[in-house]
Amino acid sequence: MSIVEQYRTKVKELLSSGQVKMVIGYGAGTTPDRRRPLFMRSPEDADKMLLDNACIANLSGYLVSEGLLSDEKRVAIMLRPEGVRSINILAAESQLKAEQIVIVGFDTAGEELRAIEGSEAKDFCALIDSLKESAPLQAPDPLFERIVQMSPQERFNYWQEEFSKCIKCYACRQSCPMCYCRRCIVDSNQPQWINTSSHTLGNFEWNIVRAFHLAGRCVACGNCDRSCPVNIPLRFINRRMGMEVLEVFDHFPGMSESQEPVLASFKKDDPETFIL
Amino acid sequence: MTRILFADKLDNCLERWRSAGISVIGPVKKSNSSGYSAVTKAAEFDFNLVLPERSIKELFFPQSEPLMRYEIKKQEINTSEFKAPTSERIIFGVRPCDAAGLAIDDPLFGWDYQDEYWFQRRRETVLVTIACTKADDFCMCTSLKLTPDSEKGSDILLRPLENNSGWQVEELTDRGREAFKIIADLLQESQEKAAPTAVVEEKFDLEAALAWLKEPENFESHFWKEISMRCIGCGSCTFLCPTCHCFDIQDEGDTYSGIRRKNWDSCSFALFTMHTSGHNPRSTQSARWRQRIMHKFNYFPGKFNLNSCSGCGRCSRQCPVDMGITETLQELSKLLR
Amino acid sequence: MSEPFEPKIVAFVCTYCTYAGADLAGTSRLKYAPNVRIVRLPCTGRISPMFILKALQKGADGVLVSGCHPGDCHFTHGNYHARRRWTVFRALLEFTGIPLERVKFSWISAAEGVKFAEFINTITEDIRKQGPFDQYKQLIRDTESPATL
Repeated sequence: MSIVEQYRTKVKELLSSGQVKMVIGYGAGTTPDRRRPLFMRSPEDADKMLLDNACIANLSGYLVSEGLLSDEKRVAIMLRPEGVRSINILAAESQLKAEQIVIVGFDTAGEELRAIEGSEAKDFCALIDSLKESAPLQAPDPLFERIVQMSPQERFNYWQEEFSKCIKCYACRQSCPMCYCRRCIVDSNQPQWINTSSHTLGNFEWNIVRAFHLAGRCVACGNCDRSCPVNIPLRFINRRMGMEVLEVFDHFPGMSESQEPVLASFKKDDPETFIL
Repeated sequence: MTRILFADKLDNCLERWRSAGISVIGPVKKSNSSGYSAVTKAAEFDFNLVLPERSIKELFFPQSEPLMRYEIKKQEINTSEFKAPTSERIIFGVRPCDAAGLAIDDPLFGWDYQDEYWFQRRRETVLVTIACTKADDFCMCTSLKLTPDSEKGSDILLRPLENNSGWQVEELTDRGREAFKIIADLLQESQEKAAPTAVVEEKFDLEAALAWLKEPENFESHFWKEISMRCIGCGSCTFLCPTCHCFDIQDEGDTYSGIRRKNWDSCSFALFTMHTSGHNPRSTQSARWRQRIMHKFNYFPGKFNLNSCSGCGRCSRQCPVDMGITETLQELSKLLR
Repeated sequence: MSEPFEPKIVAFVCTYCTYAGADLAGTSRLKYAPNVRIVRLPCTGRISPMFILKALQKGADGVLVSGCHPGDCHFTHGNYHARRRWTVFRALLEFTGIPLERVKFSWISAAEGVKFAEFINTITEDIRKQGPFDQYKQLIRDTESPATL
């Protein structure tokens, strides 16, 4: 049985038995290579469900949309391991209760997709542990390496050119499961810390603040990078932040729902070589 | 016999226009993103793009534009206005849907108040449009009763030759003729045939959709919730749209000095309608998406007798969750049947 | 002749240690460079990275952030939280091309008036050598807004 059939059956079961009120998954998109989020509420909806390598988006952000979870009923969602990590962070930050979410896990294994055993976030702990182990061994990205090697001036220019394209549509923010603030800092005007205008300074400030707010929270699902309509390589900034928290604080975001957020915790012997 | 502009003459044309004090802008792809930007050499043009990712509107209605400077002193308040820059320019290689988009917004910017920031730029720009010979899955100009070689809004219409070596020249307006007078001797008479225009299938029944939108009871229809469930509320559709024109006024600075700017705003943002009290009349994303569709296909036509959409398809092409006007109007036009 | 370059530096300090240290420098009649504008905050834990961006936005050539030594925080661990935040924010600044020589961090206690005066002198000279923060000032000019610092 292929994974699609296996999971269609599972979705039908979940919905017809009333275990969950909705399953969030993937359906066909406008073009053959596109997938779009699909909200399944009746067993028949499962026939529209698709699951293949084109299903990349991390859908966990939909779980925190207003009112969805407030009736305490369970919701199922199809997630890759990064998505499960997002659930752990959202739970750790008290945005949802992990036991209210039924996870239908999958991952790419070579050419194929494989199902991942488990139904709640806590069932995936071993898998996420192994992800942490392999995180420092990530394949190097040539452009990322090039940026790291640049002089500060070159790096400044590189990012200015990238950020000058920004149109402040906030697709990066809206597509990010971690950007759930009711009122974003850039939308606040008393005080107004950063410029809302989309001139290069305003764009720079916005992108810095976005990256900082995600430091130690980003699971590198790539939603922001893919959704950017002007193709700013946001993945590099997130990656750099991820490296920093892993190397310095041994923090890999989204290990479990009881993991302390890296910037809301500390150790007395945290390194401080740069402090004079 | 038609007049032809051969592509190998393009550098000479650029030179001529430059000497006449006219700057040239065209479709350019750089740092992994495409838009209309300044061009100095013909090699910088990218005519192979079906459509630049960013629309032409930013050249007439910039995403952020200073309007006024203020300075408050003990005894006086000084203000000075920013004017739209005056510079003659030619946009070469505009897509017909982008040119049509500008024509759609003209009545809007000149309706109760003549927006000089827009019209100054409109007056000083010549739009040289190239008819489309290819389209992608998201193009939908025909559904909006336009065509891949539509003349709407253009000053010159170029039709690519079959062998791709140049373009047939059709002068549409006096402004276009004026600009092409400068390069008249670089054009050649020739029998070369134009390549066939792109085939863009009609994706929805516009009349049916418009009729449905006009029915007052459909404002509260469950349809809106269903169709917009996956909308994440970013502004990429509105900001890439050649006809979306909403803006916000923002003061940057402090109590004593600063400037006032006009910034793009989007009806998809929750903040767009947020009151100071905290109340938000469009409190859900479905209400915001409904507003966007209603504005384009009900309110705007009601006021200006025009649909506020030129069928470029950018909203669907670039949507992070694969939504867009096409899907919504497709579903809408099915509802009546 | 244009005037010689005088760096503008913004210092965010906690009131219990570094501000008291600055006070001590003053009452001890220690002379130090007048280039620093001090912003006093209840604790380094209150110093958001947004403050640093704001200082740069308003035309600062350098920013320094200072508070109690680890273990000395009036609120017991505000500075531990701040330290983590700085570590990450510094990495971000570096990666986006802001020279780290322009954003400095230090621990200065209420007893370290001398350290404060020396620190201000060194950092001022350091930034004077580097010159005005032109790359950022170009961004500010592009916005047409005045750099009011």
